[in-house]
Amino acid sequence: MVKILKIIFFISIGFLVLIGLFIHDAHAHFWWERIPDFDAIFGFLGCILIVFGSKALGHYWLQRNEDYYDD
Amino acid sequence: MTINAIPPAFIFIAGGLLLPFLKVRRAKQIFQLLIPTIAFIDLLYMGQGTYWTYHFLGYELILGRVDKLSLCFGYVFVIIAFIGMIYALHVKEDGQHVAAFLYIGSTMGVVFAGDFFTLYAFWEIMAVASVFLIWYRKDRKALDAGFRYIMVHIFGGCCLLAGIIIHVADTGSIYFNLIDLTGPGSKLILLGFIINAAVPPFHAWLSDAYPEGTITGSVFLTAFTTKSAVYVLLRGFPGTEVLIWLGAIMAVYGVVFAVIENDIRRLLSYHIISQVGYMVAGVGIGTTLAMNGAAAHAFCHILYKALLFMSAGAVIYVTGRRKMTDLQGRNLYRQMPVTLILYLIGAFSISAVPLFSGFVSKTMVTAAAADTHRALVFLMLHLASIGTFFCLTLKLTNGTWFGKDTEGSGEEKIKGAREAPLNMLIAMGLAAFACVFIGVYPQVLYHILPYPVDYQPYTTHHVINAMQLLLFAAAAFWIYIDKLGGKRKITLDTDWFYRIPGRLFLSFCNKPLNKFRSDVQGLFSKDRAFVVSLSKNPFTIPSVLAESMKLKMTSAGNLERREEISVRLNKLKSVAYNEDRYRISIGWSVMGCIGFISVFAFIFFYL
Repeated sequence: MVKILKIIFFISIGFLVLIGLFIHDAHAHFWWERIPDFDAIFGFLGCILIVFGSKALGHYWLQRNEDYYDD
Repeated sequence: MTINAIPPAFIFIAGGLLLPFLKVRRAKQIFQLLIPTIAFIDLLYMGQGTYWTYHFLGYELILGRVDKLSLCFGYVFVIIAFIGMIYALHVKEDGQHVAAFLYIGSTMGVVFAGDFFTLYAFWEIMAVASVFLIWYRKDRKALDAGFRYIMVHIFGGCCLLAGIIIHVADTGSIYFNLIDLTGPGSKLILLGFIINAAVPPFHAWLSDAYPEGTITGSVFLTAFTTKSAVYVLLRGFPGTEVLIWLGAIMAVYGVVFAVIENDIRRLLSYHIISQVGYMVAGVGIGTTLAMNGAAAHAFCHILYKALLFMSAGAVIYVTGRRKMTDLQGRNLYRQMPVTLILYLIGAFSISAVPLFSGFVSKTMVTAAAADTHRALVFLMLHLASIGTFFCLTLKLTNGTWFGKDTEGSGEEKIKGAREAPLNMLIAMGLAAFACVFIGVYPQVLYHILPYPVDYQPYTTHHVINAMQLLLFAAAAFWIYIDKLGGKRKITLDTDWFYRIPGRLFLSFCNKPLNKFRSDVQGLFSKDRAFVVSLSKNPFTIPSVLAESMKLKMTSAGNLERREEISVRLNKLKSVAYNEDRYRISIGWSVMGCIGFISVFAFIFFYL
């Protein structure tokens, strides 16, 4: 089951990247929208950035033990 | 119009007050569902216009300003009231239902209020009614969180009231419409509104209190307070530049805190903040598309967020566990497959997967940001979108239903876990249906938006971009999946600023300040005791004072004399006051009266 899902997943991201190369937004507002597959790159890097950014923020600054607010 | 509609707020409030008088349980349940149904029919009968105006102290109160904007919010509030009531049908405590009905009713009052006084009155009822949905959980944490919640809302309400008073004094009108952001009045009103919209740094009440609410009550909480705040912002402050930035920051802020959260309902609460960020940004951008987007997103958000809270609530209801560290690796998907599927529909909707409701509304706001060439805002909203997908579709799904038991408890499955009761499943099913229906057929939503819609969500470009964004985020998740389990930690947020310094202030009052008071009191305690002993018998005061003076003036060496005086003093002090001792007989009083009257009469008649 997991294997099938994995295969479907990889096929679909390959497919999306391919289509992305041929689709151009006629109403692009920003320069990056003309980069092919920009959203794929942004999605991948953005996810890593947000996860590690927040983990670091939590680890070095904001996270405390669960009884922090107890008397 | 042959039948006159009545204010929808009163339907809910009257319904809530009547509910405890029904004694048969089945009748109660039917009544609970009947109220939102009547309210919905009522909304259908209300044409656009202004209804129910009353004169009050020279001002005009408007209880029904009905236009497309207020109707749009009215519809979704009634729909979610119905769904939430189905979800809460099994709850036997009347109090919870009464609180919910008062809460819904007051929100309807806010939505249809046409003037500031009505708005303010319902605004405060909303805060007070909603806190009971937290307190009914009845444990210590819920009580504390409820008190913090109500204090923040009372503060917000005070800001709003102060703002309204200044605004009315300045303009002379209580009519609530577009407000110019000039002067302290409008700023205070805006502050009151954004506290309810949970805009950082005034957002901590939400992530603090919503996870502590009752399982059924929190579903109502997610829908009404923040979204009615979005409504009043749409009405009063469209196009306010500062809101764009606050909204964009909010969207990212909520996601960042959600990523490191362990409690499932607290994680969802941070996503309310994030999603309301899109709406606030939409209000700030203020173009027709952005305003439509904010309203549409509020509409969709209410449905899918309620769905998410209902499924998280179902998990907590059957397992009694609320943390991912206690749920992951227990293969809950085997015992609750239906809940999992319904949850996923909610998660896909909030993540803006094409064919689900979030996709048709969230993209309106991002498109409006692009149209107005706000690059940074656009990127921030996109980033929040990725984080939302990551947290809800990937992390929370994995951490609740699948996942690995990172703490090695060896527990393979949770005993007694099964699907939630039927009424809960039906409620979740209805919400899930609405999410998919709006996603597939967005025209039904676009039709009720405040302005005419000229926006097409399903272009090839939109769909491909969205899929790329989401699937590549999933790829990143897949790579790091083992490092992303929950941690038994809590995250500090801005509620720290009133929880810890508040406690310090309290202990400052209790210890140093209280010690100072008792010192001062101790300093005068001898004198006080002396005065008290004197006052016991006023007639001995002169002699007691005289003897005390004598005692003081006698030199310390003269023991014999001192002894003699103090014996006399003690004797004097021990003489109790005898009220009969100095009383003159009644004959003397009568004689005195007669004498006075005679003298008075003599003067009056002869002089």
